[in-house]
Amino acid sequence: MTAAMQPALDFRNFGLAHRRPGGEEVLLSAVTLSLPARRFYLFLGTSGGGKSSLLRILAGLVESREPAPRLSGDLLAWGESMTTHRPESMRDSVAAILQDEGLLDELSPRANVEIALRAAGRSRRLAPGLLAQAGLVDPPERTAELSGGMRKRLAVARALASSPRLLLCDEPTAGLDAEAARTIAQLLRLAHDQDPDRTTIVITHDIAAFEGRIDGVLVLDRDARSLRLEPPGFRPTYAAGAKVDESPAGEPEAVHWLRRGLLRLAAAGETVLESWRRLPPFELGQVARTVVRFTVEPAAFVAIAGAVIGGLGTFFALRNNPIHGGFESALLTGTGKVSTAVLVPLLSGFFFTARIVAGAAARIGTMKRTNQIAALQMMGVRPADYLLTPLVWGMVIAMPVVTLGGVVAAAGAAAMAADLVSGITAVGWAEAYFATVDANDVLVVLGKTTLSGYLVALSCYHLGTGPKRSGAEVGEAVNAAIVVGMALVLAVHASLTFLVYG
Amino acid sequence: MHRLRYLIGTLTLIAAVLGAVWIVRTLRHLDDRPGLPLQIEFRDARGLRGGADVRYRGVTVGTVRTVSIAGDGDKATASVLLEPTGAAQACVNSAFWIVTPRFAGLTGGASGLDTLVRDAYITFQTPVERGSPLVAGSLLAGREKPPVSPEPEALDEIQHGDLLMSLLVPENHGLRPGSAVIFRGTQTGDVRSVELAADGTFVEVKLRIARRYRQTVTDKCQFWVARPYVTGALFSGFTVTDVSALLSPYVSYYGDPGQGVFVQDGYRAAAQAVRPNVEAAAVPLEALRQKQAAPAPVADDLVVVRVVYAAIERDTWSADDPVHHEGTGLLFVDRSGRSVVVTARSLVDGSYTEQDAFGGDPEIEDEQIKVMLADGTVLRAGRVWVHNGGKDLAALVVEDVPPDLRGTASARLRFEGPVEGTGTLAVHCAGADGAVLPPQALSAGEPVPLPGHLGGVVTAAEQALGIYGCQKQHGTEPTVVSLELLPTDLRPK
Repeated sequence: MTAAMQPALDFRNFGLAHRRPGGEEVLLSAVTLSLPARRFYLFLGTSGGGKSSLLRILAGLVESREPAPRLSGDLLAWGESMTTHRPESMRDSVAAILQDEGLLDELSPRANVEIALRAAGRSRRLAPGLLAQAGLVDPPERTAELSGGMRKRLAVARALASSPRLLLCDEPTAGLDAEAARTIAQLLRLAHDQDPDRTTIVITHDIAAFEGRIDGVLVLDRDARSLRLEPPGFRPTYAAGAKVDESPAGEPEAVHWLRRGLLRLAAAGETVLESWRRLPPFELGQVARTVVRFTVEPAAFVAIAGAVIGGLGTFFALRNNPIHGGFESALLTGTGKVSTAVLVPLLSGFFFTARIVAGAAARIGTMKRTNQIAALQMMGVRPADYLLTPLVWGMVIAMPVVTLGGVVAAAGAAAMAADLVSGITAVGWAEAYFATVDANDVLVVLGKTTLSGYLVALSCYHLGTGPKRSGAEVGEAVNAAIVVGMALVLAVHASLTFLVYG
Repeated sequence: MHRLRYLIGTLTLIAAVLGAVWIVRTLRHLDDRPGLPLQIEFRDARGLRGGADVRYRGVTVGTVRTVSIAGDGDKATASVLLEPTGAAQACVNSAFWIVTPRFAGLTGGASGLDTLVRDAYITFQTPVERGSPLVAGSLLAGREKPPVSPEPEALDEIQHGDLLMSLLVPENHGLRPGSAVIFRGTQTGDVRSVELAADGTFVEVKLRIARRYRQTVTDKCQFWVARPYVTGALFSGFTVTDVSALLSPYVSYYGDPGQGVFVQDGYRAAAQAVRPNVEAAAVPLEALRQKQAAPAPVADDLVVVRVVYAAIERDTWSADDPVHHEGTGLLFVDRSGRSVVVTARSLVDGSYTEQDAFGGDPEIEDEQIKVMLADGTVLRAGRVWVHNGGKDLAALVVEDVPPDLRGTASARLRFEGPVEGTGTLAVHCAGADGAVLPPQALSAGEPVPLPGHLGGVVTAAEQALGIYGCQKQHGTEPTVVSLELLPTDLRPK
């Protein structure tokens, strides 16, 4: 069979079932169907029938921390089986426009396209042409300011950046009025016709918008758990209350949870491995901006907290020990080794974590929830490059810097308190201070903050990129990131303190 | 589809378990400190608990880690960890025992009384002829009782002028080095050694009588070893004497006043086998005579002393500088009975007068303060108070004061009111030999120079009311610092 005659997708006795605790939810069974290439298909079927699941399998967007759907039979894409693993050739030849578009709101529309071009190994200068082709000649500077229709156009432009052979679209006209929907449908058809090798599959319920622009209709029959190909004029009649087969013959519940647990552990291990493999910055400017932001945002907060701790410690130590040895004990308890190497760094770590991790985890969790991370994967951009690497560099550099700032603020406040309570001059105070604190203490502080910053970055990324089905799960991830981050700070500081001074 | 991920998950699980095991092992050995671990067996652990001290010469040099029953149930085993300093002192012939309150009857006395209020601990002694060093994990047999006699180092040093004599006793009733020597119920000395005579016919007890009490020993004194002694009959009433010897036997002696001649060092006396029937002479009538009322204040009642201060100022960047000041102070007895010298702070406090090269506080070490009396006697003194507000005023307490030392009469001290407007002022100083110099009048026109008069006692109308010192710290201008700045607890009654 020549490449020209080869079907785009070839289902051979193909079955698809979701693994559930204690059973399986069968979506497709014994499907045998060849889908000719270079056509523009609508993909119809009742909601929850498995259309999006199939699209995610084709796009390689299966959630890595949940047990994968059970596939049976065979599914060939351009002659290559993808039931056991996704062929390498699919990685660069498939693009998907997801229901939430997955646009990176923090970048400009042009930068959204540029990042896809860069990932596809194409010139960034193609971005204006792609935007113009999608009808975005002069888009606003911020992606968040785009209207619903413009967001769909931008998603199309970005999807075309990799010049895909298979273009998958999940409800591209959802939420648009009829006129805007027809415009998007026309845009998709034009994009399809632009490349003679392109096959396009559009999941939609808005058949009218695509009237006259399609080559065939792929129908998912939920009752029969099968797929069939219908001519362009086909109009579906959906049966109400279609029954989903919950097969009790699936794997035991314990096995399901074991799978899930191992996948979660794998994700944790992958996060650690990724942090090392992707340590060289993907984009230096983004890393630098993150470092500056992580340093500046909590600096005042941590400095004030450090000053309060150091100042109060010295104030009360001197006030309560006014006679012999009072100054020495004040240095030890208020401003000396204990404060500099243990107390202030620990509390600074807490404040830093509370201030930075909440924002970072919320950002990553929202990106996961709104398919931005899926879009990055789709474009061939590793989420670790875009999210984890800046986070690690930001935390590892900013946490020690901010903590040292807290220590300096604590020392300054302590000197002022010493002057206030006992009339000790700044020079006299500094002499006594440096008699108790040495370079080794500073190194210990740097070691503790660097290690805890690294671990906090990993936990923040790991919890943020977990499965997110709702906004509540994003909130839970933020909460968990703060708690775990603080626990890691405490554990690192306690263990290193014991190891060095114990 | 997730096969590789399941493998990574399994490897992560294994790594997590191995990491947890490593952390637990690390934490478990976190308290491993350098030192010498030993096992010491006792028949009775006497309540010894883990965490108790191991001491050598009273210094804590280790810790008891655990106390457990030995495998055969016959012994209790204490696992101890000696710190490097303690390990250097322990050897195979060291004697280890548990210190608890012990009362060994008439002969043994009481020991370990400090453990009445704190936990039992282990202590050890190493003989002069040291054995081989101990190796880690050595199992030693602990002693059930302390050694018979502590080492002579436990005794006070013999001072010049002390009387050293020997007492020959027919039997040692538990005397040991350190036992007290008592005269009229007052300890006047101690036992230095107890040795059996070569022919075994008596025990020679060497005594030290403190210098200030040596006049109590004459050749007419009778000595005996004190132990509880009952006289009389059950129904006619009886008397128990020397009950205090129940806790620790001691040597007692007595001689009638005015009888006999004072003895020399090396004097040997024979002790009575039993307590002699002596009754202490009554208090002489002369002692009952009321002391004469203090005479009216005269000029001599103002006691000014020479004060000498020496110290070393440590300097990081250059050679250390010696600090030496001499001046005057005012001596009197405060309400606690201490002999106090009030003087200028710039005379007796290096941190007040010296300056660090960078303007910081100077590092003053090896401070010594001596006070020379008018008769040339030199006594050591300690600085107990300086004025917090930076005024040039300090107070010293004189140590080892002779019983006849006399201070300024309180009637000649004035602690209230300002110096100004009190009439003609004069400054009294002590010379380099301690002798009092003629007073110098203080007048505004001819100021008395500060050098040579620092710490001088300023008087007005025969009353001391201030000290001649500096106007401010590091200053050179003289001023009179009022005694009213002195806290009340340092003033006479």
